[in-house]
Amino acid sequence: MRSFRLERQLDLDPRRAALYRVAGALCALVLGALVLVVTGRNPAWILWQALDAIFGRQRGIEGVVLRAIPILMTALAVALSLRMRIWNIGSDGQFLAGAFAAVGVGINLDAPGWVMLLAMAAAGTLAGAVWILIPALARAYWGVNEIITTLLLNFVAVQLCAWAALGFWRDEGAWAIQSTEAIKDTLPKIPGTESLTIALLFPLVIAGALWWVFRSTRAGYEIDMIGGNPKAAAFAGINVPRRVVAVMLVTGAIAGLGGMIHLAGSPGAQQLNSGFSAQYGLSGFIVAAIAGGSFLGLVVGGFLIAGMFFSGLVLQTRGLSVYIILALYGIILIGVAVGEMAARYRLVRAESEVAARRST
Amino acid sequence: MTEGSAGPALEARGISKSFGGISALDGVDFDLIQGEVHALLGENGAGKTTLSNVLAGLYRADAGEVLVDGSPREFRTPSQAIAAGIGMVHQHFRLVEPMTVAENLHLGWEDTPKVCTRRALAARARRFMDEIGLQVDPTAYIWQLSVGEQQRVEILRVLARGARILILDEPTAVLTAQETTELFDVLRRLVNGGRSVVFISHKLKEVLDVSDRITVLRRGVKELTRPTEGATIPELALLMTGESDEINVTHRKVDGKIALEISKVTARNDRDLIALREVDLSVREGEILGIAGVSGNGQTELAEVLAGMRMTDHGSVHVAGQDLTNAPARVVIDHGVGHIPEDRIGMGMVLSASVEDNAVLRHYRREDFSTGFGLDRGAVTAFAERLVNVGRVQTRSLDATVGELSGGNQQRLIAHREAAVADRVMIASQPTRGLDVLAAQEVQSTLLDLRDGGCAILLISDDLDEILLMSDRVAVMYEGKVVGVFDSADADRDKIGILMGGHQDADSLR
Repeated sequence: MRSFRLERQLDLDPRRAALYRVAGALCALVLGALVLVVTGRNPAWILWQALDAIFGRQRGIEGVVLRAIPILMTALAVALSLRMRIWNIGSDGQFLAGAFAAVGVGINLDAPGWVMLLAMAAAGTLAGAVWILIPALARAYWGVNEIITTLLLNFVAVQLCAWAALGFWRDEGAWAIQSTEAIKDTLPKIPGTESLTIALLFPLVIAGALWWVFRSTRAGYEIDMIGGNPKAAAFAGINVPRRVVAVMLVTGAIAGLGGMIHLAGSPGAQQLNSGFSAQYGLSGFIVAAIAGGSFLGLVVGGFLIAGMFFSGLVLQTRGLSVYIILALYGIILIGVAVGEMAARYRLVRAESEVAARRST
Repeated sequence: MTEGSAGPALEARGISKSFGGISALDGVDFDLIQGEVHALLGENGAGKTTLSNVLAGLYRADAGEVLVDGSPREFRTPSQAIAAGIGMVHQHFRLVEPMTVAENLHLGWEDTPKVCTRRALAARARRFMDEIGLQVDPTAYIWQLSVGEQQRVEILRVLARGARILILDEPTAVLTAQETTELFDVLRRLVNGGRSVVFISHKLKEVLDVSDRITVLRRGVKELTRPTEGATIPELALLMTGESDEINVTHRKVDGKIALEISKVTARNDRDLIALREVDLSVREGEILGIAGVSGNGQTELAEVLAGMRMTDHGSVHVAGQDLTNAPARVVIDHGVGHIPEDRIGMGMVLSASVEDNAVLRHYRREDFSTGFGLDRGAVTAFAERLVNVGRVQTRSLDATVGELSGGNQQRLIAHREAAVADRVMIASQPTRGLDVLAAQEVQSTLLDLRDGGCAILLISDDLDEILLMSDRVAVMYEGKVVGVFDSADADRDKIGILMGGHQDADSLR
């Protein structure tokens, strides 16, 4: 007796969709907890430890925020490209390119502090855009798949940073970890905090600006139309290739600026090495996927993932491998994807509905 | 299984089905007797396709039951329906183009040998074709076949799997007249051999030609079932549409200013072959110029050139005296040229976007909606609301995606949007193709209103009746050339038909 069936929903309520995505992520966490149980660990204790690590002291909350900033910047880059149904998988590379250019300016130029910061920000933004220039042109004018080109450039960026750290910008004074020299000028602190700088404002302002762009500007409308049907967009008189290039360059610029503000705004991150980005691009990608095109959701999701990330770092000291955190990321992403599909279907009681119809 | 009993081979009782709160079928009964062609007649959106999808196991009904040979059956997958002997041939073919006929026949079929050669597959295919009496070269690739042959492969595929009941969804929509006649012969042979056919169409004449019985659906409700014998076109048309008013068009000789002037335009198609040869045409304000011709003779390319979507090799296009040769789409729109595109879904709309966003897709740049960088959402909503009301677009809300709308409502939206764009010129490409009678009439009267308002209209249509009904002048295209231009008074159907067929004049036929 089959009394339940799935019915596809033609219209998708965005709130319902968001709810299902969050539910998917939660289910994934439960699944992760089960894995922990099976491997002989106590998930409740781990959860308690994680929450305590974050909320038990001010440094915990600030630690989460510090990690949220680069994650949000890369997530914004990915989310913007996704509005056009373009997959910028290379935000990690653009992030590193931005940091690379900023370090280059920071250790080689000599100027007053604020000039240095402006120059570094400009260099980082520009470098992020340059890093995606070739994938953007190739995609827009020759239809080359941007997923592959942007992804591959990530590895190039890591090697570029390694080369700088080991070679031409090497910090001669360092012994243990090979890094470039440290930049001297950092972003101003936010008063009343131990370690936070105005770097925090960047992702918040950019998220707000993008929300506004898509709510009430022509450019946002055009991007959404290109995302929906490029041929119809061309029919509407939009120069699609030019827009694709422009948007992709902006996504690269956001990620590049992210690299610069991490370098100049996060304590202890003033030197560049190949480990400068702790998978921020990957985390940002997951955040953008969870948010599903909503910039407000993206900010919330960014802090959540950063919380996981930070507690993961703390938990490493309690005997959990960082790979467990990465595995959890993967499970969450699958959970979100399943939730997104599930939101499109509704479970209907076939018999009762038929009965209801007959009685009316 | 009760073989050869008097009961219907396939029966549906009280079928109801709704999508997103909109009822597509409401308590519909239907029965198919063995050995008959039973036509399912109705406008687009009447529920024909929905009903046939329920019969074929593609949709599950919200209420009601399907009986095969008198016993209730519930299909959860199309393959279960096929196993029960019910096969469906869709309007849009589901063939794999780069594969051969024989390969397509065996695709996804349990009886296909697990290990076999191409030659063995071709031999098996040939055997089925001989058994069934339908021939297509089994080694040909699908893309090499004509549309009619592709349809034959679809029919063969279903029959080879043992279907006794064949459901054909709008099978003639894609066929030429010759192919249609051939299809009807095939269907006759099949029912004479004991199979049964459900034939879905909105073309009255075909239904009268091919069917034994007719069921008329209107807005998801069954109007009646009757024997074809004795049925008349006016009677069926009335049942189908519920309204009998014909559209009235008065033709005029217009001597307004020339709004659209095309001179010596030559252009290529997507395969880089010459598609337009030295085309000279002009349309005056307040005039409809109809382009008659068999599709594929350059009409598509002509429309694209005029919309700024295709480059010309040489020649010029002027709108109200302004040179718009090879101007980008944006400039063309800004000069008040509307365009109802032939490819509505691929080009005319963003299916995943809302009704509201689609309502301004082509003129959101205009001052009414735009200030600086901004898009005035309030103005957009107001415009969309007006468009939906005036254009009688049925939608559950302005936020609904246009993908949810029926084909007729999508085209109503496009027609009214383009009417808002078309201050000077309207290019209407196949504006009523595939629409039901009511929606087609509404689109046509939208064009006539535009004409009466002084807009110049270029109407491109495969449907010669439509061309003759609507046009003040008629131009005939053949192989990329304009081979004749007539005033509506001199536009003689036979003469135009001969030109469309590529003959210079009637004399050359003798």
